[in-house]
Amino acid sequence: MRKALRTAVILSASALLLAGCSAAQDGGGTATGSLKGTGSGDACTIEGTVPLGAALSLTGAAASYGESQQNGLNLALKDLNAKDGVKYDLKIEDDGTDPKQAIGVFEKFVRDGTSAVIGPTLSNTAFQAQPIAQDGGMPVLAISNTAEGITEQGDFIFRDSLTEGQVIPQTIEAATEKFGLKKVVVMYSNDDAFTESGYKVMAESLEDQGVDVVDTLKFSVKDTDFRSLLTAAKESKPDAIVVSALIEAAIPLVTQARELGIDAPIIGGNGFNNPQLMKDAGAAAEGVIVGAAWNSASESPENIAFMKAYEDEYGSGPDQFAAQAYTGLLVLDHAVRVNCSGERTDVQEGLTQVKDLKTPLGSLTINKDRDAEHSAVVQIVQDGKFAVLN
Amino acid sequence: MLFTESTLVFIALNGVFAFSFYAVLVAGQLSLAQAGFAGIAGFTAATLTPPPAQWGPIPTLLFAMVVGMLVGAVTAVILGLPTMKLRGVYLAIATLGFAEAIRIFLLNSEWTGGAQGMSVPKTLTPVVAWVVLALVTYWFARQSRSRYGRALEAIREDELAARSIGINVGGHRLSAFVAAGVLAGLYGVMWAYYVRLVAPEDFGFSTAIDGLVTAVVGGTANFFGPILGSGFQTMLPEIQRTIGIEAGWIRPFISGLLLLLVILYLPGGIASLIPRRRQKVDIASLQTDAAGLSLRAHPTAGEVVAELKDLAKEYGGVHAVRGVNLTVRSGEVVGLIGPNGAGKTTLVNMISGLIPPSSGSATVLGVPIGRTPVHRIAAAGVTRTFQHSKLFNRLTALENVLIGAHVVAKPTFLRRLIWLPSARRDEHTALTHAARCLDRVGLLDKANTLAKGLSYGDQRRLEIARALAADPSLLILDEPAAGMNHVEADGLSELIRSLAADGLTIIFIEHNVGMVLDTCDHIIVLNFGEVLADGTPADIAADERVIEAYLGAADDGETDAHEADVAAAATPTKAAEENDD
Amino acid sequence: MLQQLLNGLFLGSIYALFAIGLTLVFGILDRLNLAHPSVFAASAFVGIWMTEAFDLPLWLVLIAVFAFGAIMGLLIERIAFRPLRERPDAHFAGLISSIAMAGMIVALLQAVFGPNTRRFPVGTIPEDALQFGDLTASWLQIIILAVSLGLMIALSILVQRSSLGRSMRAVAENPTAARVLGVNVEGVTATTFAISTALGAVAGVLFALNVNSAQLGMGSAIELKGLAVIIVGGMGSLSGSLVGGLILGIAEVFAIQYIGSSWRDLIAFALLFVILLVRPEGLFGKRKVREV
Repeated sequence: MRKALRTAVILSASALLLAGCSAAQDGGGTATGSLKGTGSGDACTIEGTVPLGAALSLTGAAASYGESQQNGLNLALKDLNAKDGVKYDLKIEDDGTDPKQAIGVFEKFVRDGTSAVIGPTLSNTAFQAQPIAQDGGMPVLAISNTAEGITEQGDFIFRDSLTEGQVIPQTIEAATEKFGLKKVVVMYSNDDAFTESGYKVMAESLEDQGVDVVDTLKFSVKDTDFRSLLTAAKESKPDAIVVSALIEAAIPLVTQARELGIDAPIIGGNGFNNPQLMKDAGAAAEGVIVGAAWNSASESPENIAFMKAYEDEYGSGPDQFAAQAYTGLLVLDHAVRVNCSGERTDVQEGLTQVKDLKTPLGSLTINKDRDAEHSAVVQIVQDGKFAVLN
Repeated sequence: MLFTESTLVFIALNGVFAFSFYAVLVAGQLSLAQAGFAGIAGFTAATLTPPPAQWGPIPTLLFAMVVGMLVGAVTAVILGLPTMKLRGVYLAIATLGFAEAIRIFLLNSEWTGGAQGMSVPKTLTPVVAWVVLALVTYWFARQSRSRYGRALEAIREDELAARSIGINVGGHRLSAFVAAGVLAGLYGVMWAYYVRLVAPEDFGFSTAIDGLVTAVVGGTANFFGPILGSGFQTMLPEIQRTIGIEAGWIRPFISGLLLLLVILYLPGGIASLIPRRRQKVDIASLQTDAAGLSLRAHPTAGEVVAELKDLAKEYGGVHAVRGVNLTVRSGEVVGLIGPNGAGKTTLVNMISGLIPPSSGSATVLGVPIGRTPVHRIAAAGVTRTFQHSKLFNRLTALENVLIGAHVVAKPTFLRRLIWLPSARRDEHTALTHAARCLDRVGLLDKANTLAKGLSYGDQRRLEIARALAADPSLLILDEPAAGMNHVEADGLSELIRSLAADGLTIIFIEHNVGMVLDTCDHIIVLNFGEVLADGTPADIAADERVIEAYLGAADDGETDAHEADVAAAATPTKAAEENDD
Repeated sequence: MLQQLLNGLFLGSIYALFAIGLTLVFGILDRLNLAHPSVFAASAFVGIWMTEAFDLPLWLVLIAVFAFGAIMGLLIERIAFRPLRERPDAHFAGLISSIAMAGMIVALLQAVFGPNTRRFPVGTIPEDALQFGDLTASWLQIIILAVSLGLMIALSILVQRSSLGRSMRAVAENPTAARVLGVNVEGVTATTFAISTALGAVAGVLFALNVNSAQLGMGSAIELKGLAVIIVGGMGSLSGSLVGGLILGIAEVFAIQYIGSSWRDLIAFALLFVILLVRPEGLFGKRKVREV
C-alpha cells in the first residue's frame, strides 16, 4: 500500500512540475485579435476582447465584502458587454484574504497580459500586491482601498474609492453643527487597517472641530457584543458616539446601544454605508448619521438604474462595495474607449482622462494624484432609508 | 506557468517557517508560539535596519536577518523558561496564547503602526530565500545523526528514560525552543522584506496553525519534511487555480479534504514516503577502540558506592520507605527483595534521583541525592532499567543503545556542520561501543530492528544494553527477569555475574528468589518499607523473620516465588509524578 | 459597576458553555477537538435557518441544534479521530485532522449559506428587559445564563451519577483497563464527542441570539479564549470551565472599565499564564502528568 502511495505521489508531483514548467512555452493566455481599435468613446470599436482581471477576497475573513464587489463587477460586465464596440472578458480571482495568494494572483495577471486589474479588497493586501502590477506596467484600479499612500506606490495605480480624508471631515463637521457637539466618545476596531485609518481621520476632524473626546474605546473587528463597552461609554454621558467600524460590528453596536438606553446620536463612517443597517437594526438605526462615499439616496439616473438592476439581479439592495466595484468597471471602460485601446499604457493614460464621468457614485473625476474625486455625502437614516443630511 | 517568483519565494519562506516547528516537534514539544516570534522579529528588524540604499541590498538583508534571529532567540527564552514544566496540549495552548499576546502587543504599539503596519522595502530575492532555506536544511540534516539530534529524539520518545540516561532534558528543550525562535525570527524578517508591508494580522492564530500544519504534513521523520510540506501547502491554491477549480468556497474545502487525507493515510507526513536511513553497523568490524569515548573512572573494588542514612519516603501518611540504612560497596551484586508494596522500587527511585526523599539522606557515587536532578546522578555513573520497559520504541535497538551512551560519547553536532573528520570518527566509535553493548546482552543480530518489534525478553535485555552503554559504575535493574522462564533467567543471572566480574556494582530488584540467592553477594530484604534483613544469601535463606514474612515454609518456597513473579502495579507512575528537574 | 458585573456574568456564561464541550473531550479522551468552534458556528447558521424555514419556536430550535451538534460530533469522531487512535502521535494527528475538518465545515457553510452575516427573523428574539433599579438585564441574557447553567449541571449529574458517566470516568482513567472490564470504549468515545459538540452547538445558537448574528468566523473568534478558559478552569473539569468562563467574562469587562479596552483581549492570556505558573492543573483540575 505504501509503495503504491509513494509511486502515486511521485508521479503526480512530476506531472505537475512538468505541466508547470512547460506551460511557460505556450505563453500566457492573451486576447484574440488586436487590442487597438478605431474610433473613440461610444464609437470606439476594438476587434479583440479586452482581458480584465479582478483580485477579490472571495473566501476568508473579507469574504462578505468580496462577494458584494463580485456582484457589482458582474453586473457592470453584463451592462458593458451589451454595448457595441468593445467586449470585455473579466477574470475574477480569489485571494483568500491571504497576501501570499494575492501576490500570486497579481503576478499571474501581469504574466497573462491582462490589460488592467481591479482590487484587491483590503488596503494592506494592496500595499503588498499592487507593486507587482506597477513593476509589470499593468494598471490597477482600487475600488475599496481607502488608506493613505495607495496611489503613491506608483503611476499605474489608480482608485475610485474616496479616501477617509475626503469623507469623514465633512461628516464630522455636519454632525457637530447639527447636534452642537461638545464631548463625544469614540469607538473603533483597532485590529483592522480600514477602520483604524478611519479612526485616525475621525480623531483629527473632531479636534479640528473643537469637540472633546472624553473616551476612546477599542474593540476587535470580530466583536459582536458591545454591551460592556457601551455601558462604559454611557457613563461618560457623551453628546454623541462616533464609530469607525465595519457593518458586521455596526449593526449589533447600534442595536445594543439603544437596548442599553443610550439615546445619543451615533455617527459612523464608510463601514456603515450598507442597507443591511436599517434592515437588521430596525428601529435602532433611526437617526444614525453615516458619512460615506456613495450616496444611495442619490436620484441621479445612473444611480437609480444601478440600484434597480442590482435589486433585480440579486434580490437585495447594493452596498457601497458593490457600488464602487460597478463604477470601477465603468471607469475602466471609459479609459479604454477614450484612447480606443486595450493596451496597458493606453489604459493607464486613459485613466488620467476620467473627468466628470457620470456614475452611480456621482460625477467622478480622477485627479492628478490618481485619486478619485466626487462629492461625498452625509446621510441620516430616516424611516428605514438613507436620506441626505441637510 | 505554475512557478511565479512569489511561488518560489513562498515555498522557501514557508519551508523556513515549517522548520521552526520541526525544531521543537523532533523533541516532542508542541510549542506553537512561532508566529509571535516571527511578528516581533519582523517588526524589530524593519525598525532597526537602515534602508537598503545605505549599505546595499544584501548587507541590509543580512543585518536584518541577524537582528530578527536575535530577537527570535530572546523571545523564545522568555517563553521557554516559565513554560519549562508544561507538556502536550498544555504547552500548545500556553504557547499559542503567548503568540497571540505578542500580536495584541504589536497591534497596540505606536512604533509598529498598529493595524496598518509598517512599510518595508522589498529586498528579498528568490535566490537569497532559497540559499537561506538550503542552509537551514543543511543544519537539520547534520543534526539528525549527531549526539544532540539523538538526544532530542530520545526526549520525544520517552522523556523519563532520557533523563535517566543522563540527558539534561530542560537544557535540550530550551535549546530546541531557541532554535524555533531563531528560525521563526528569520522567517518574520524575510517575510517583511518580501511583501513590502509587515502588519500584525500576518502573524495571527491562522498563521500559527498553518505553520504547524505544514510541518506535520511534511513530516518529522526526515529532515526535509518541512520542505515537502511547504511545497504542498504553497502550491495547493495555485494548482487548484490552474486546474480550473472555481474561485470560492470549494478551494478551502478541497484544501481541508486533502489535509485530512494526508493525516489519515500518511502518518509520518509526506516525508514518510521516503524511507529513513537508519544508522547501521557492520558487525564484522568490531574493534576494542575506546579512544573516542570519555569513559569514567570507576571506584575501586570495595569502595563505598552508595551510602543511605535513614532514608525515608512517605506519601501523605503512607510510609513507603521508613528509615533505611544501607551501604553498597563497589563490585557487589546486591539483591533487593520483599513482598509487593515493600518499597523496593520507591527506594531505588530515590537512589537514582527520580523522587526526592521525605527525610534522611543518601550519597551515591559522591553525589547527594534529593536536590540533584536525575541527569546529574546519571552523569555521575548511575543508570537503571524500569519495571515496565521504557524503550525508545520507534528507534532501532542500535539507536536506543547509542542514545544510552550519551554521557560518554563526545558531542558531534557542531563538528558535523563543518564536516570535520574527527566527528565522523567519534560517531563511529560511539557506534562500535553501542554494538559491543548489544553484543554483551546477545542482541547484536537484532541491532537494526525497531525496539517495538522485539520480543518481550529481548526488550528487557535491550534496556540493559542501553543502561550499559553509559559505562555506569552503579547499575540498577528493576525486575529484569519479570516474565522470563528459567532458561532466560539463568542466562540473565550469568550476564549479571559477568558484568560484576568486570567491576560493575549492581543493585537489582527481583521476585525470583532462587535467582537472587544464586546471583547475589549481598541481599537486602524489605518489608513494609523497612529493612528486615541484610546479609549474604546464606544468612538470608536461614533468617526466620524473612522466611516468615516472605519466603514462606521451605516446601512452599517454589510456588510462592512463582506466584510472586507478578509485576507490581502503581509505583512507577507515582515516581513519574514526583519527577523533578 | 454592578451593571458591568452583570455584563461580565452573561459574557462569561457563553465562554463557559463553549469551553465545557472542549474540556469534556479533553478530560475523558485526552484529545483536543479543534473542529469544535466550527460546529459552534455551523449550529448558529442551522438554528437561524430552522427558525426561518419552519417557523419554530426558540426552545424547539435549541433542542434541534442539540441534536444537530450531536450528529456533527459523531461524524467528527468517526472521521477525524477514530482512525488515529492507535498511533503514537495521536495527539498531534488529532489536532491536525480536526483542524482539517473545521476548514471543510466552514467551507461547506459558505457553500450553503454564503459569506454574509445571517440574522434571526424579526421577532424571534425576546426584546424585553428586566430592570432592577439602575441595572438592566435583558430576558435574552437571563435565558442564556439559565440554559448554560442548566446544561452544565445536567452534564455534571450525567458524569457523576449515571452508568454512562461511570463508563466515561473509567475510560478517562485507563481506557485499556476499561475495555478489559467490559466497557464499550468506542461507544463511550463516540457518545462523549456527541455530547460535547451538542453543547457547543447550543452555545453557538445562544451566542448568535445574544448578538443577533451568525458569521462564518464566529468560531475562530472565540476559539483561543475558549482554550484559555479550559486551562484556567482545569482541563477536564466541568465546574472549572464554568468558573473559568465566568472569571474570564468578568475580568474582561473590568479590564475595559479600568485598564483600557485595547488590552481586553490580553486578559485571557494573562490569566492563562498566571494559572500555568502558579497552579498548572487549573483552578479545579486534578494533578495528572501526561507525557507526550
